[in-house]
Amino acid sequence: MSVATALPGRLTFGPIRPRSRRRELGLLVLVAVALVVGSVSLGATRALAEGSASFAPWDPARLVVYLAALGMAHVAQVLAGRRTDQVLLPAVGLLGGLGLLLMERLPQDLAGSAFGDSLGLAGVQLVWLVIAITVIAVLSIVVRSDTWLRRYKYTWATAGIGLLLLTFVLGEEANGALLTIRLGPFSGQPTELLKVILVVFLAGYLSEFRPLLISESTRLGPLRLPPLPYLLPMIVMWALAFGIVVIQRDLGAALLFFAVFLALVYVATSRVSYVVIGLILLVLGGIAAYHLFDHVRVRVDIWLDPFADPSGDGYQVVQALIAFARGGLLGTGLGGGLPLVGGRLPIPAIHTDFPLAALGEELGLIGIMAILGVYLVIIERGLRIAAAAADDFRALLAAGLALVVGVQAFIIAAGNLKLIPLTGITLPFISYGGSSLLANAVVVGLLLALSDRGVEPPPPPSRSRGRFDRLLRRSTS
Amino acid sequence: MDPTIATIWVVRVLFLALLYVFLFGVARVLLRDLRSAAREPVTALGRLRVVASEVDEPSSGTVFPLDAVATLGRDVNNTIVVDDPFASTEHAVLSFRGRAWYLEDLGSTNGTFLNGSPVDGLAAVAFGDELQVGRVRFRLERVGG
Amino acid sequence: MSGGGRGGPPRATPIGQGIVRLGIVLLAAFGILAAGAGYWQVARSADLVGRPDDPLLIAAARDVVRGQIRDRDGHVLATSKKDANGEPYRVYPSKAVAPLIGYASRQFGTAGLERAYDAELSGIRGPDPVDELMAKFTTDRYRPQDLKLSLSLDLQKEAVRLLGSDRGSVVMLDPRSGEVLAMASTPTYDAGAIADPATAAAAFAATAADPAKPFLDRAVQGRYVPGSVFKIVTAIAGLGSGAIGTGTRFVRQPPAEKTGLLVSGFRIKDGHHDFTGARPLAFPEAVEVSCNIYFALTGLQTGGDALSSWAAKLGFGAPIPFDVPTATSQVTNGGGSFGGGFADDVELANASYGQGETLATPLQMALVAAAVADGGTLMKPHVVTQLSGRDGATNIAPETWRQVVSPEVAGQIRDAMVLAVEGDSGKLFTPGAAVPGVVTAGKSGTAQLDGSAKPHSWFIGFAPANDPQVAIAVLVESGGSGAAKASPIAGKLMADYLDSVAK
Repeated sequence: MSVATALPGRLTFGPIRPRSRRRELGLLVLVAVALVVGSVSLGATRALAEGSASFAPWDPARLVVYLAALGMAHVAQVLAGRRTDQVLLPAVGLLGGLGLLLMERLPQDLAGSAFGDSLGLAGVQLVWLVIAITVIAVLSIVVRSDTWLRRYKYTWATAGIGLLLLTFVLGEEANGALLTIRLGPFSGQPTELLKVILVVFLAGYLSEFRPLLISESTRLGPLRLPPLPYLLPMIVMWALAFGIVVIQRDLGAALLFFAVFLALVYVATSRVSYVVIGLILLVLGGIAAYHLFDHVRVRVDIWLDPFADPSGDGYQVVQALIAFARGGLLGTGLGGGLPLVGGRLPIPAIHTDFPLAALGEELGLIGIMAILGVYLVIIERGLRIAAAAADDFRALLAAGLALVVGVQAFIIAAGNLKLIPLTGITLPFISYGGSSLLANAVVVGLLLALSDRGVEPPPPPSRSRGRFDRLLRRSTS
Repeated sequence: MDPTIATIWVVRVLFLALLYVFLFGVARVLLRDLRSAAREPVTALGRLRVVASEVDEPSSGTVFPLDAVATLGRDVNNTIVVDDPFASTEHAVLSFRGRAWYLEDLGSTNGTFLNGSPVDGLAAVAFGDELQVGRVRFRLERVGG
Repeated sequence: MSGGGRGGPPRATPIGQGIVRLGIVLLAAFGILAAGAGYWQVARSADLVGRPDDPLLIAAARDVVRGQIRDRDGHVLATSKKDANGEPYRVYPSKAVAPLIGYASRQFGTAGLERAYDAELSGIRGPDPVDELMAKFTTDRYRPQDLKLSLSLDLQKEAVRLLGSDRGSVVMLDPRSGEVLAMASTPTYDAGAIADPATAAAAFAATAADPAKPFLDRAVQGRYVPGSVFKIVTAIAGLGSGAIGTGTRFVRQPPAEKTGLLVSGFRIKDGHHDFTGARPLAFPEAVEVSCNIYFALTGLQTGGDALSSWAAKLGFGAPIPFDVPTATSQVTNGGGSFGGGFADDVELANASYGQGETLATPLQMALVAAAVADGGTLMKPHVVTQLSGRDGATNIAPETWRQVVSPEVAGQIRDAMVLAVEGDSGKLFTPGAAVPGVVTAGKSGTAQLDGSAKPHSWFIGFAPANDPQVAIAVLVESGGSGAAKASPIAGKLMADYLDSVAK
């Protein structure tokens, strides 16, 4: 053991060595350039509408704060020296920036709270974006073990259910759905956080019982099912979440949970029969809900023919479609769309439920394709992290997290485009709202942590180290 | 055409183009990742098999694939959690540096043992060696070997 | 980290495979999203932009001075004024055109041509797509266009005057081009009062509450039992399909004049023309004296399928393409098993002379007359002939819609219709329809209604018969026989038009 003396002292978590992230930096620079150009485009369009020619960026201060936050997150990752994914942060940064530009061009009084009135819509969104970026950076650096997620899955599940029950007690009704909890000046939508908890629970449960779920012992006619006792807790957990969400009238979340549940079960078991059973249940549940609940029926009827009542029930959907249509191929340009009628927007919930329609109008089909492309990039990264994961739990967790973002984006985008009935769910990273941004930041932070390929083996002891490195080591040891 | 309007048009189209430049940049990174992933086989540096355990976690026979650094201890934040009252919260670190494995005791109460002898500070570990943390004994194994 | 879990049984399929499949599914899902965006943003873009509920239009209503609407002689039908705040509002000089032109009101939206051409009049849609793209960025993004109509305000006013206090409608077309010369619907209303912000609320409420339904544009939206004027449709089907010829006579017809024609236990009565005696009528005479039994037999001989499909060529069964939305005229309620949607032979026999379940709009019946007048060719009806703005003008050219029947068949029907107006017996049914000095063709109708309601009075026709320049349909609700109200109105209006053209 003669080598021992040549090694530096204690290495509790190994020495933290900064590690450059050139790809991330390059992509972040592109994001910054794009957002600055977008801001100039918005500013010039706004100036022209008021009759002057100016090419100053629209509200440069907020943009600088936002870009600085992204930069800090990058620097933090560099200093932490973990070998994590380098694409996720820029991709999320671009979507968040688009959301910020959108909030800046909307009437600022949409924020609608005491907190929001002073800051304005864009101000509030900026605060949440900075918090979200911080959460991403902290989680990606601090989370080094998944045991706390893996081991306490039932605790998480219980916490999730508790959170939902809390909504019943403290919930406030908005747009016919019980979604918001208000505690003093703070309000939030617990279903956003619940989706993360659901994925953690499902990943833990499915990875633990995967071998048993694959083995077939129960036969139901032509269907081969796993031993029922192992399926039961999962079904109960799902039904509970689903049931509560249906009672809360949050159809979007119900659809999201169901899709993520089915997809994860499929990934864990490679069993098409589960998916088929799930889809049959979905169709049956949908038909039952259509006949049982008025709010479901109204949504579906609007979806089938929004033009039947274009100024009543179908109003928002028709207006969204008209916005898309007005955008055409190239769009009206940032700040050039969304005509105000008597100082009001044609779509009241544009900042939460219809940001895609707004971007569709202002950026056109070309812009929509790019935005969809960025979501696909996030999904691809998530699934790649899942595929490279060291074990089943991490694989299922990463796949589930990627799914949450992808499926949620799909549900609201498809709702905006009248491909499926509209549900009140946010467009990840773009929609206005703290709960949504925070929950999705947790998703991305965990994905980054899961993507860590471990600390690189240090170079041979003989090689001299930089001063910065020594400084850092001294401060951490 | 009015030059201002023409310029706004250019800025707008430039913005849309930049979105695609970004996607193009991402695509390049993704392709490079794919290529490098194809080059290096995705295997752990080694693995730690539990050969004997008197506790539930880890149970006997469990296999842990190893990254460059793995921490062992009772705390849930460890890479390998040893849920044994005889283990300390942060008990030991197993690391791969250069071409060799090293085991370091983090000042545990009951000590860390390598092939039956207590580890004082840092000790080199070879494949096939036995490590003991609390009442759990591991063996370091070569992957695929 | 803690891989392998319990190190249990071997894995059936690697988890990676499921992840790859998942990725493919998500990729496909986003592909569908992109296709959906393409559908709404490109394929459907043109029809959605400029819909009446497009907020751009609603915003435009507040500050855009809409284009003017003028008739064929340049008379202003709709223009704009500014109120005390400098916001524009619409002014309508003549009430006679109200049901067709509609209104554009800040409080109550738009109707009629103002609604159908909202995008063009307020100028959010330009004639040139590239220019339109550029205009999205200018402060001056609206490019209002003026509409020029083929309508003659003089004729329209005269039509409204002749209809008087009756509820009814007149549609006059140039059969050679399909251009609408007059399209009246009574009662009319004061569109100017609805557009004027000061009087809008009261005027709108009063008009909407009027039991005579002035907002209903009877010419295109009113569906009426056509009665005998529908015999021209039956004639087109019978002669066109070859089921009858002009010489066809039915031996069952004369005895049935007295006892009624028994069809499956239902007795079709006639009784208008006992004076024709025991000799079976040929086609021209049957038109002249408007013989119900002859046309019931013709319909039965032609068959339900043929009658429905020939009527469909004339426009029945689907909304007629026109500048404002049109109601669907029908030969039958449809769904029957007898052929062509008829329930049984009784319904077919009744429909053949315009009773049964047959319903037609005045525009539809004017097109029937126009088709015969133009040698069997039906031109697409239209009233807007030109859009003009500061970017230039677009003319809307006449367009052939369909060739309904051969010129020979059209000629045979025309001759019979001349007899119905100029013949010794025909004159009795169509007093006042003949234009002095011009050979006129036509057919009157008396549409029997359920119960004791007074029948609708109809007339369709065209003049001059040898070189038709104008086709007309006149309907007077509960106006009694065709002879009583509709025929003289038609004669006067056709004479006025031919006079004005001759000058």
